[in-house]
Amino acid sequence: MDKKNKSIRSYWNKPSHAAYLFIMPAAVLLLVFNVIPLIASFYVSTLDMGISFESAKFIGMGNFIEALGDYRFRNSLKVTILFTVIEVPIQMVLGLVMSALLTKNTFTNKLFRSIYFLPIVCSATAIGIMFQIILHSNVGLVTYWVKMLGFGKVNFLNTPGLTLIVVIFVSVWRTFGISTIILISAMQNVPSDYYEAADIDGAGKIRQFFSITLPSIMPSFWFLLMTRIIGSLQVFDLVFTLTDGGPNFTTETLVTYVYNKAFDVGNRMGYATAMSEFLFLIIMIITVIQYIVMVKTED
Amino acid sequence: MKSKQLRTRLIRVPIIVIFCILAFVMLVPIVWMLFSAFKPDSEIIKYPPTFFPSSFTLKNFTKCMQRIDIFVYLKNSVIYAVGATLPSLFINTLAGYAFARYEFKGKNVIFMIFLATMMIPFQVIMIPLFLEVHMMGMYDNYWGLIIPKIASAYWIFMMRSAFAGLPRELEEAARIDGLSEFGIYSRIMLPLIKPALVTLIILSVNGNWNDLLWPLIITSDSQMRTLANGLALFVGARTIEYGAAFAGAAISLIPMLIMYVFGQKYFVEGQATSGLKG
Repeated sequence: MDKKNKSIRSYWNKPSHAAYLFIMPAAVLLLVFNVIPLIASFYVSTLDMGISFESAKFIGMGNFIEALGDYRFRNSLKVTILFTVIEVPIQMVLGLVMSALLTKNTFTNKLFRSIYFLPIVCSATAIGIMFQIILHSNVGLVTYWVKMLGFGKVNFLNTPGLTLIVVIFVSVWRTFGISTIILISAMQNVPSDYYEAADIDGAGKIRQFFSITLPSIMPSFWFLLMTRIIGSLQVFDLVFTLTDGGPNFTTETLVTYVYNKAFDVGNRMGYATAMSEFLFLIIMIITVIQYIVMVKTED
Repeated sequence: MKSKQLRTRLIRVPIIVIFCILAFVMLVPIVWMLFSAFKPDSEIIKYPPTFFPSSFTLKNFTKCMQRIDIFVYLKNSVIYAVGATLPSLFINTLAGYAFARYEFKGKNVIFMIFLATMMIPFQVIMIPLFLEVHMMGMYDNYWGLIIPKIASAYWIFMMRSAFAGLPRELEEAARIDGLSEFGIYSRIMLPLIKPALVTLIILSVNGNWNDLLWPLIITSDSQMRTLANGLALFVGARTIEYGAAFAGAAISLIPMLIMYVFGQKYFVEGQATSGLKG
C-alpha cells in the first residue's frame, strides 16, 4: 500500500503530469461557472420559464420573436448603442489627450494621474449616491452653480434626453482615468531614441505625437477601444444606481431591462436570456472584427 | 532658443489650468459627499447648498445604523471580498504557474480555451449562472456569492506573465534538492512574484467590494446584503434620508480610499497590464 502510494506520488510529481493537477481547479471552476452557463444560455433562451425548470415550456424562437416586437427591448437596445457610440469616443479621446500630456513621470503629472484615476475605488453605488444628490433638482450643489451661471433651474436626472447625457458624463468621469493610465503605460514603452531622432530632424511635439506615438501605441489603443466598447454595451450598475432607467425609460439600457425582466418583476428567465443573446451576438461581432484587425496589423 | 523655451513654458500654463479644472471636476463629488456625511440633516437639504460643513456631527452615522444593518453589510462585504480573493490567489497562481513553467501535452490549446473564457460577457451568462447556482443549493448564501467568482482567466494570464520571467536554474536546483513540484511552486517561486500577488489581492478585493450586480442577483435576504447592494437598495427605495445614505457610502468608500493611498502603484500596474496586448 505504501509502495503504491509512493508510485502515485512520483507519477504526479513529474512536471508534465503535475501541470494537469495545477490547472485542474481553475479548469473545473471556469467550466462550471463560465462555459456551462454560456452553453445553457442558448437552451434557456428557447424556454418559457420562471425560476425553476420544472414548469419550463419549450417555445423555440418564441422569446426572440417577442423581443423584436417589444417596445422596451427595442428602446433599450437603442439607448445602449447611443450610450456606447457617444461615451466611448469621448472617453478615448480624453484619455488619449490626457495620457499624451501626462506621459512623463514628474511629481505634478503623477499627482494629476492619481486624481483622475481615483474613481476606480468608488463603487457604482457610491457614485450613484454622490451624483444623485449633487445633481438634485432642489438642493444639488451643481444644480445651484448652474443656476448661478444663468442657465436656470435644470433637472438633470429627470429630463428625457438630458438625463442620458448625464449618465454618459458620469460614466466618462468614472472611466477616462483608467484609459489614461493604460495609454500612459503604452506610451512609456515607446523607445525614446525615436523621439531623439525626431528632435534632431526638427519635428515638433504635435508632429511627433501623430507620427511616432500614435502609430506605436496603436495595438494597445485598439485593444482598449474594443474592451471599452464591449464594456459600455454591458453598462448596468451606473444606470441602476443613478437613474434606474428613468425618466420614462430614456436611460434604460439592455442589461438594465434584462435584469428588470429576470429579477425584478415576473422572473421571466427565458425571455430575459433571449434578450441578452442579442447582446452576445453584438459582442461576438465586435470580437471577430477585433481579431481580424489584430491579425492584419501584425502582418 | 530662449524664445522657444519661453513659448513652451507659456503653452504649459493653459495645460495646467485644464489639468486643475479636470481635477476639480473629479474631486468635487467625492469630497462633497464625504463632507456631507458629517453635516446635520438641516444643512444637507438647505438652499443654497454649502460645500464645507458649518458644523460637524456624527448623527448621520447613528441614523444609518438605525435604518439599515450597516455592520452586517460591512461584514458581508469583507467576507465576499476576502473570501473570494484568497482562493483566487491560490487557484489562479497555480494555473498560471503551470502555463508559465511546464511543458505538457495540449498546453497551447488548453491555454487558448482558458483565454477564450475571458470573452464570455458576465451580463450574458448571469441568468443561467443564477439558475445553476440556485439548483446547486447555493442561492442566498456565501458559497453562491463566492465560488463562481474565484477562477478568472484574466488573473491566470497575469500570473503566467509574472512567473514566466523567473530563471530556470531556480527550479532545477530545487528539484535536485528533492523538493516536490508543489513545494517548488509554493516555497520557491510564489514568494518571488510578490508584487504580482499584491496586485491581484488589491484589485480583487476592490473589485468584489464594489461589485453590485452579482450580490444583487444571488442574494435576497437582507442579512446577506453587501455594502454595495445593500446601500443601492436603500437608496433605490427613493429614500429621502440622504444623511444616512451619505454615511453609508462614506463607510463603504473609506477602506478602499485608504487602500488606494497606500497601494496606488498596484492599482496602476493591474490596470496597465490588463490593457496591454501581450
